[in-house]
Amino acid sequence: MIDERTALTAAPVDYNALRDDEFRAEIRAWFEASYPAELRYPIERLHRADTKIWYDRLAAKGWLAPRWPVEQGGMGLDASKHIVFIEELERHGCARFNDQGVLMLGPLLMTYGTPEQQAFFLPKILTGEHIWAQGYSEPNSGSDLASLRTEAVLDGDEWVINGQKIWTTLGNDANWIYVLVRTDKEAKKQQGISFLLVPMDAPGITVRPILTLGMSDEFCEIFFDDVRAPKDALVGQLNHGWTMAKALLGFERIFVGSPAQSAYAMSRLETMAHHLDLFSDSEFVSRWGKLVIDLADHVSLYGTFIERLRRGEPIGADVSMLKINQTELYKRVAQVLVDYADGYSGHDGLVGPLGDVQAAAIWLQSLQTTIYGGTSEIQRDILAKQVLNLPG
Amino acid sequence: MERSERVRMIRDSVGAIAPPGAGLQRVRALRLDTMGIDRDVWRKIVDLGWLSLRLDEDRGGLGLGVTELCAIAEELGGALVLEPVLAVAAMVPLLADDIRTAVLEGSLIVVPAWRDTVGSAWGSSPLRMSGGTISGQKILVPSVTAADAFVLTTTDGAVLVERGASGLSIELAKTQDGGHSGTLELRDTPCAHLAGDVSAALHELSLAHSAYLLGASERAFQITLDYLGVRKQFGRFIGSFQVLAHRAAEAKIQLALSRAVLDEAVAAVAQNAPPVDQVRTAARAIARVSDTAMLIARESIQMHGAIGITDEHDIGLYCRKILSIYNQFGSAGANRARYLATLAPKDGQ
Repeated sequence: MIDERTALTAAPVDYNALRDDEFRAEIRAWFEASYPAELRYPIERLHRADTKIWYDRLAAKGWLAPRWPVEQGGMGLDASKHIVFIEELERHGCARFNDQGVLMLGPLLMTYGTPEQQAFFLPKILTGEHIWAQGYSEPNSGSDLASLRTEAVLDGDEWVINGQKIWTTLGNDANWIYVLVRTDKEAKKQQGISFLLVPMDAPGITVRPILTLGMSDEFCEIFFDDVRAPKDALVGQLNHGWTMAKALLGFERIFVGSPAQSAYAMSRLETMAHHLDLFSDSEFVSRWGKLVIDLADHVSLYGTFIERLRRGEPIGADVSMLKINQTELYKRVAQVLVDYADGYSGHDGLVGPLGDVQAAAIWLQSLQTTIYGGTSEIQRDILAKQVLNLPG
Repeated sequence: MERSERVRMIRDSVGAIAPPGAGLQRVRALRLDTMGIDRDVWRKIVDLGWLSLRLDEDRGGLGLGVTELCAIAEELGGALVLEPVLAVAAMVPLLADDIRTAVLEGSLIVVPAWRDTVGSAWGSSPLRMSGGTISGQKILVPSVTAADAFVLTTTDGAVLVERGASGLSIELAKTQDGGHSGTLELRDTPCAHLAGDVSAALHELSLAHSAYLLGASERAFQITLDYLGVRKQFGRFIGSFQVLAHRAAEAKIQLALSRAVLDEAVAAVAQNAPPVDQVRTAARAIARVSDTAMLIARESIQMHGAIGITDEHDIGLYCRKILSIYNQFGSAGANRARYLATLAPKDGQ
């Protein structure tokens, strides 16, 4: 969607008016000049302490929120330019920063928030004053998210929140959290859920980091013990939180559907293969060749979704195909990587004898990808029920 | 005593260092230990006599067979015991009297160093002893931090190199199971020739190692089955979902295949089958067990869901162990090639 008003003013720049190749050249040059070299291609999610410099540089340039409208402080990119933007971030190996505010909460507030909520929260996302976390999953509500039990009860002018969230990405970096809470225990499980905004320093909130197999503390558990939040912490209508939140999950799936992760693992596999002279081994070449073609084919499938986005079409439940195919391909690449790492398969850190390839770290990380953001099993369920309309 | 009774007793004896249901706190704690060995536990291992398991009775050993060695290995794998029991026990029969006595008293640890290159299954070594010294490199030496001496394979049998020997430098790397692997660089390093058949000892060790890997895989599978029976989502036990039930059944088939071929490979050694038959079944066993272990590692994490990718859940310790050791005697692919190499070429091809 090109905003015609911005095209008429001298500043800010109307990036949508540039040809794709001009736009690509401009952002590529700036990413290469501005992105900290030591943070390229991280395997795990990086913390705020590492990525703040990148957040601040993007913010100062006005490029933090590529899809937000210009009048809200974004770049106002249309879908097609946004895709170029993401492609260039991935090509240069730029880490995701604490992007829940920009990617999830911002767009949600623009659609469902009150003018007061928009005026208060949106600018603070752009400055980095508010770093957001997403409180959805619970210990007994992972795949079955709608069964969540953290509850909020109105007491006078305040919500009182009790319960527990888990797998909160970078929850230990955040100073605000948006949470799905049960506000009607009598309603059908999807219909009694509301969406609240809560500061992390509210009394009664406890954060406990969880170490992953990669020994990274990128996920947290968050406990709510009689936490009080004002009545206007509610976004949208009471008991409509599920529909609002669900509308945003599709976007996350297209993110993990991007071929970038598998492409990076393939580049590491090829580095190792050169180092170990594996291209003279016919069994390796056969396994590698299959992966090369699987990756090329995934790029083709991904392209069809990107084309739909470019045309401004909504992405439906079939985006689950991208998530499944990409993450399972990534796992297969990681498996070949450790298989040919021989006895070095379990070595920590950069492994010299493998050409400095972190085979173990990539393999361990790959195990997460078919679990987070909805397991492969759940994604296949979505395809079976919502795309194939099979009996449930 | 009947063989089956001896195997049962030897299995039960592992309870002395890893009692059933004791948990894995000791294994977790050892991850932070640079030696990767618990001296009190090593003392118990010495007292139990496991290190002399493959030593003849007339030389003061237990005189038990490869079957018993593999039975112990499976139990050690199930409990993720990090101490190099199998490696030391396999080397003991090769050692000279004074060194062997020190090992069996618990004052010395001797482990093998048999890998020269990456990519192929282990075989003959290019290293050569000359004038009482040796020069070259050995890679991927497990339990390297705990070792006081090494048994190195060479073109002409094995040699013993002491840790403090001149010209020996050791490069350490930390592994995901909490252990350390090392590269030995030797320059005119003094060594002592060892009598005895080192390739037979390593052959046995490769089977014991596979038994350890299978034991770890079996335990990881059991933990996962237990979880499928207690975790509920959508109001049902997740083990009642057909997709998980069928994948668990598939994993069971792979475990059964692994056990069948490993038992065959162990029997080939125990019955003193022709060398080519021993190699052939062992290569098949190593390949099958490695592939199965990796399948179990991936599936057990996936079936646990998010809790499976946390460091605090024990299933991750099994996953890290499998990742760290599944290629120790060559990858599955390298062992399949080793199997194929034993087949006589067909006429006219």
